[in-house]
Amino acid sequence: MILRADAVRKRFDDRTVLAGASLTLSPGDVVFLSGANGSGKTTFARILATLLPPDDGEVLLDDEPVGEHRRAARRAIGFATHQPLLYPGLTPAENLEFFGRLAGIAGAAATASALLERFGLSAFAHAPLATFSRGMLQRVVLSRALLNNPRVLILDEPYAGLDTEGVSALNAIIGECRARGAATLLIGHDRDRAAGVTTRAARLERGRIEAA
Amino acid sequence: MTFLEVARKDLMLYVRDARFLATLGLFSAALVLILSVAFGPIFRDPAHEAAATIWAALFFAGVLGLSRSQDLEGEAGASDALRLTGADPFAIYLGKTLANVLLLAAVFLILLPLTSVFFDVGSLPALPTLLCVGGLALVGYSGWGTLFAALARGLQARELLLSVLLFPSLVPLWIGAVKLTHALWDGGTIEPVRDWIKVMVVMDVLGLALAAWLYESIQEAAE
Amino acid sequence: MNRNVPDWWRNGAKWLWIAALALIGISLLAIIFRAPVEAVMGPVQKIVYIHVPSAIVTLLAFGIAFAAGVAYLATKQWIWDAVGAASCEVGLVFATVVMITGPLWARSAWNTWWTWEPRLTTFFILWILYAAYQVIRASIRSSSKGTISAIMAVVFFVNLPIVWKSVEWWRGSLHPRSVTMTGEMRQVLLLSMLTWIVFFAAVLERRLRLEWAREAAARDAAARAFEPGEARRA
Repeated sequence: MILRADAVRKRFDDRTVLAGASLTLSPGDVVFLSGANGSGKTTFARILATLLPPDDGEVLLDDEPVGEHRRAARRAIGFATHQPLLYPGLTPAENLEFFGRLAGIAGAAATASALLERFGLSAFAHAPLATFSRGMLQRVVLSRALLNNPRVLILDEPYAGLDTEGVSALNAIIGECRARGAATLLIGHDRDRAAGVTTRAARLERGRIEAA
Repeated sequence: MTFLEVARKDLMLYVRDARFLATLGLFSAALVLILSVAFGPIFRDPAHEAAATIWAALFFAGVLGLSRSQDLEGEAGASDALRLTGADPFAIYLGKTLANVLLLAAVFLILLPLTSVFFDVGSLPALPTLLCVGGLALVGYSGWGTLFAALARGLQARELLLSVLLFPSLVPLWIGAVKLTHALWDGGTIEPVRDWIKVMVVMDVLGLALAAWLYESIQEAAE
Repeated sequence: MNRNVPDWWRNGAKWLWIAALALIGISLLAIIFRAPVEAVMGPVQKIVYIHVPSAIVTLLAFGIAFAAGVAYLATKQWIWDAVGAASCEVGLVFATVVMITGPLWARSAWNTWWTWEPRLTTFFILWILYAAYQVIRASIRSSSKGTISAIMAVVFFVNLPIVWKSVEWWRGSLHPRSVTMTGEMRQVLLLSMLTWIVFFAAVLERRLRLEWAREAAARDAAARAFEPGEARRA
């Protein structure tokens, strides 16, 4: 087990979003989590990624509650969601190098260009992000998520905006992560695009997670 | 070093946004003009009126800059990525504060000659001391301002709120800045009002101390 | 979470209000009949029996909010957020009383509605900051409301002594340095202070109970989501 959510509860004022959601991610797992719109998938993803504290229950990394060592835990996690989580005013290379250096990655610049090349973006590494199409932006987003070679990858709607090439590239990377023992959580609706790489499917419904 | 990286990143983003810089510069200049007209045409106490003008203009320019500093993080959710790097929140705070100090220092250096000319004040020998006073005030302003801006981020009318929060809280700083600037432009020396330096230093230190304690909580209060 | 506050609270509150109302009655009588009319200012001077205690209560309220803020940041327990929010709101009301009675007294004593002297200025700043607190708190609709409110309560309060001292140095003090009263005036003033503190406690209790009811209702509504017995969707 690498990352585990244990009976996580989250309430926003008078609305319960998560009512005891549990999920275990083990090395080599590629879990696809689906659920209706508004079912709390994004909230769950953010809690798992330590960005949001649960009201009750806990998230454990290697059996240690994440709350105590949040900053260390974050370095083991790669996260991508609907928002790009990038600076629109910087180029992809600058973005990746910045986040890489802040995360304490040695040779951040080299890692950054390697990732950009992997996603076929080398030619655009120094172009302003504002000029990027949706699909290209998504590739930069995924590059950022993979910067620190995470042991757990949490991707919220990662296939949105990707063309066939992008989908293949992403699936290839997920395959590699799986091979090196990392765990991946994919969240979304388009299960078919991830069909080749998914090892397990789950569904978030009524605030809880069930096997799908 | 984290804080230098963050400062560099913020400065790069400021510099690339020509529209923002132009607006900031023009707005500050306009404020100086407005106040000159309000006090003029004959200035009864030019040194005092000029000191008041430059610090009032800087205050409002500062609100714009500080607000922008946080908006940069919120625009595409970059603040989440920042948190996910696991970098020290206080270092992030220091980086942003440093970038803001430099931005405001640039505005100050533009307003200084403008104010000197409009009010016909200023003395070259007093300039080094004036720059130090300016630095002291701007460090305090940026320190507290970065903290408050993070608090008010994402809210509607946050520039208005920031002005409402920052001016009253920093009254000791403003009084000190105006008094010291006035003294320098009046007699060329800060001797009669040198105690105000202590007040400003206390404010600067208090601001940084509060940030050291609270910035991580503010950063994590993200949703 | 129970919809109603515990019994000891409810009983205590009843006695608190009885005490408050009794004290208000007694002190009003004392102000009108026992306190002598001041030689120079005349009856208007008696505003001081409202002005001074409400100023003290305001500072008490914001001090409580500060402590509650620190407690919330340390424990993240809802009750501290409730105490802080209630105290700030009630404190703002008393601060308004100070800001109204002050100029009324000043007009009579110094022939001016306002003057930039330390206490008035600091209270004005106080009023603005805590009014902004209300605006900001009302604008946050998320789980960070407690943290942001706590930080505001802490930061605003911590700054006050410096602001106070600075304005004092900036402009000499016209305001009576400390309230030096003797005999009957002093008695009535002390009685007024006690009255206002008890009254503040009673009002705070009410406001806190409102917060409790709000939170209980929200938790109730949230708990009813996904109730068993609802048809499962495929």
